[in-house]
Amino acid sequence: MHEFENNYPDHTHRPAKALWTRRRFVSAMATTAASATGLALLTSGCSSPRAPSGRANAERRRRVAIIATEVRIHSHAQHFIDRFLEGYGWHGAWHHPPMDVAALYVDQFPANDLARERSRRFGVPIYPTIAEALTLGGPKLAVDGVLIIGEHGKYPRNEKGQTLYPRYKFFKEVVKVFEASGRAVPVFQDKHLSTKWQECLEQVADSRRLGFPFLAGSSLPVTWRIPSIDMPLNTSLKESLCVCYGGVDSYDFHGLETAQCMSERRAGGETGVKSVHALRGDRIWTLLAERGVAQRLLFAALARSHTVRAPDGYPCVVPTLAWIKQCCPDAVAYFIEHNDGFRTSMFLLNRLVQDFSYAGMTNESGKIISCQMHLPMPMHISTTADFFNSLVNNVEWMIVNGRTPYRVERTLLTSGMTLSAVESLYRGGVKIDTPEMRIAYEPMAKSTFWRA
Amino acid sequence: MDRQLRKIAIVVEEFTLRSPAQQLLDRFLIGYPRDGEFRRLDNCQVWLHVVSGGSDTEVGRRVKDHDLRVAESIDRTLANADGVIVVWRGAGSKANDDLLRATLHSMQSGTLCFVHGALASGRNAARQSAALAKSRGLVLCSGTSTAVTYRLPEVDLPPKAKTREALIVVQGPFPDAEHEALEGLLPAIERRRGGETGVKSVRSIQNDEVWRAGREGLWSWSLLAAAISHSNTVQGDPVKDGRTQDIVGQGLIQALAKNPRGWVLEHHDPMRTTILVLDGAVADYNFAIRLADGGTVSAQLYRPPEPAQEQFSRLAAAIEELFRKGKAPWAIERSLLVAGLLDEFKLRRR
Repeated sequence: MHEFENNYPDHTHRPAKALWTRRRFVSAMATTAASATGLALLTSGCSSPRAPSGRANAERRRRVAIIATEVRIHSHAQHFIDRFLEGYGWHGAWHHPPMDVAALYVDQFPANDLARERSRRFGVPIYPTIAEALTLGGPKLAVDGVLIIGEHGKYPRNEKGQTLYPRYKFFKEVVKVFEASGRAVPVFQDKHLSTKWQECLEQVADSRRLGFPFLAGSSLPVTWRIPSIDMPLNTSLKESLCVCYGGVDSYDFHGLETAQCMSERRAGGETGVKSVHALRGDRIWTLLAERGVAQRLLFAALARSHTVRAPDGYPCVVPTLAWIKQCCPDAVAYFIEHNDGFRTSMFLLNRLVQDFSYAGMTNESGKIISCQMHLPMPMHISTTADFFNSLVNNVEWMIVNGRTPYRVERTLLTSGMTLSAVESLYRGGVKIDTPEMRIAYEPMAKSTFWRA
Repeated sequence: MDRQLRKIAIVVEEFTLRSPAQQLLDRFLIGYPRDGEFRRLDNCQVWLHVVSGGSDTEVGRRVKDHDLRVAESIDRTLANADGVIVVWRGAGSKANDDLLRATLHSMQSGTLCFVHGALASGRNAARQSAALAKSRGLVLCSGTSTAVTYRLPEVDLPPKAKTREALIVVQGPFPDAEHEALEGLLPAIERRRGGETGVKSVRSIQNDEVWRAGREGLWSWSLLAAAISHSNTVQGDPVKDGRTQDIVGQGLIQALAKNPRGWVLEHHDPMRTTILVLDGAVADYNFAIRLADGGTVSAQLYRPPEPAQEQFSRLAAAIEELFRKGKAPWAIERSLLVAGLLDEFKLRRR
């Protein structure tokens, strides 16, 4: 029995490394970030080592620091902070995380800021720097876990349309405190890692170098599924597809995580990405005409959606390609080739759907496995973004158990896919070869999505 | 063996947009997603009879665009139909007994009939309709989409589970809310060991009495907490600033719920069921069932957003299955119990 219960106590890939020691930590600090290149050769056995603070601190409640860009209604940081402070519904009960938010760092305070109100009501100090938040104003690291929520807020966009959220900068400041303190604790980072591939690699390399569990990504892989299914481990899978909505360098990442959490369970595990080809508008349909499997998967995924737009006055439609084109003149699609010949497609079909659905086809029988990853959006069909419950629960699990419930390589790869797709669109829809994304990994054996 | 469907007849009290009548008609006319693929009823005519009211324009549009056949008389609508769907006005809690009797009389022996909503306006009328259907060799079934909608999480009672108590939280006017509560909860609890045994007593509680009854143990606060923990639509502070909030644990639910009302049902086995209609507290349906071993099974009855309201695709699939297999997806006794309880609620409502 684990001291903290959730529904995915999977430890089959538990690393064989010993507990982290100060001597090993100092030695690791001497290693340069050049080890990032080694990530290209990651093998299936790689996983985050146990955090040093694990059992030693079992007697006292753990403390976490949350580093946020902005905290206002329905910003990602609000969803995380409130779940740690207020609790959330989990498996038929109200769950209070077995840890305290000891410190906040907030980068921006908009007019509708909620950070100060939460700080007052719960007595959580907001520190002026990330270092002070992690040390609680003292000389050394004083928390047991760190969350970096770098989503939302006013940040510049570059010429490619990427919003330059300071996720990498925040992460590096956290790493600096770890290095100065001679110890490291588990870190969760929301959404894709950074806007540059080398920075993404460096983040994962830092986590290995300093030996801290590093979890990242979207709530999509861990939210409810309708129906409640998973890709059976070692399925001989031919191709995956996600159909969803939203923008480039934004919800595209969620769509890619939706597909990747299923694709990585295929026979042989993930082998990395060979090329990324992103297209807009009519060029999508020209390419899709040559891809029979993707066409079938597109309609199979749409059949799991609850929001497929029908002609005015009708609740339902049996969609055709003509209907999709009519609804989505601004469609965006990513076509991704993996190193083992596997394919992933992701369609952003605004004005056709407002949810995330997945379909994958098996090799031998051509059987299609499909579901919706359920996101009850605030202001639409919910008042609270409860798909964050499962993600927060996974973060808690990591902090308590000192290892990640699923692999950061998934998010490293989906970050790379997102960046390459942005680049592909920026260059007018050219196919981009991605030899640097030879990221191989095997998934955790047990499913980690939210179910009974 | 599956039957080939050549004609489906739909009898509706009125045809309006976004009504159950439209949701079901359009699915049989156009097609709908089922088990991960879009399906149409190929080579099957869909006939409609509208008793009164609604939009002639919308009906006409379906005639033009989707080859809907419309008939003035029930007899012509039902002639040679493989299956018949009857849809009441509104949400379906108020049955039109005369219309159902006329429909059952016009149906050919061996035909299958699904009634959207309550089977009848009361216990006796329900029994009479069931008896009439049986005497004429018709298969009769009734219910709403709440009976088949998605559960989050996807739970069910373990086979032959011993249960003690169940509770469901719903919202809405009387008797629509109560009807949906029964449609949502009875399919879950009828799977308990021994099956449904019937209800021996009904108690109505209102306003402060609802909370007093909870404090006195007439219903379970812990089941209320379990049910509400599945809600995605907690009202009050979460609406203002998006926070999560334990409205049961913090004792806020009493202030949030406007004019609460409830019903406590004692079953024969014994099993206790509580329906709480809590407008203003949450805006979704959630239930919890206490097992004899102390465990709890709880979930949200998820109703997808408009306009698709995909729970109707699940109901359409259940109806199509009824028509193809010739076997009701659930027992008529459930519908008799629902009709009887709604009758009882009307009598006891203060």
